[in-house]
Amino acid sequence: MAIELGAPVRVSPLIRFGRWSFLGLGVLYGAYHQSRLSKREVGIRAIEAEKKAIRDAKAAEEKKRALEEEARAIADLSSPTKK
Amino acid sequence: MAGIANKGSALVSTLMTQAKPRFATFMKYAVVELTPPTPADLPAIKNGIVKLVSGARTGAWKNLTVCEAWLNTLVTMEVCFWFYVGECIGKRHLVGYKV
Repeated sequence: MAIELGAPVRVSPLIRFGRWSFLGLGVLYGAYHQSRLSKREVGIRAIEAEKKAIRDAKAAEEKKRALEEEARAIADLSSPTKK
Repeated sequence: MAGIANKGSALVSTLMTQAKPRFATFMKYAVVELTPPTPADLPAIKNGIVKLVSGARTGAWKNLTVCEAWLNTLVTMEVCFWFYVGECIGKRHLVGYKV
């Protein structure tokens, strides 16, 4: 290591106090907001699960209906012509 | 398999021998620059805040050179950014909240 590092700088106590206090406040705020959001998400997940069940049921019904219509159309086409 | 384990342990030992002087240099600077403020610094901190507030009130900030003002802005921004670093640590995720 040929890089010449200078002498350590005496950082003012106000700046050091500001840095460490902001760091601590940030950690506390992050933890608090995370817990708040995760609690909110529990309720949202329940509602989404209900909606998904309804959506899945509707999609299954639509698919069944489409299959039946297709089968009927094919049967109509392949039956002898009613002239 | 034994070859890989030997090479791994040799790597770790070289890492440790290389890291010790570098860690010593880091500690030399950290002890002076990074230490959290002790209660003995309280009067200095209070004086600093008083000087800041009085300087803002009397208008002494208009007499700063642009260079000094720019440096002060950079330092203030850096102090504020530590809040967001702390927030990342608190939410335990780097970008955004993971719920």
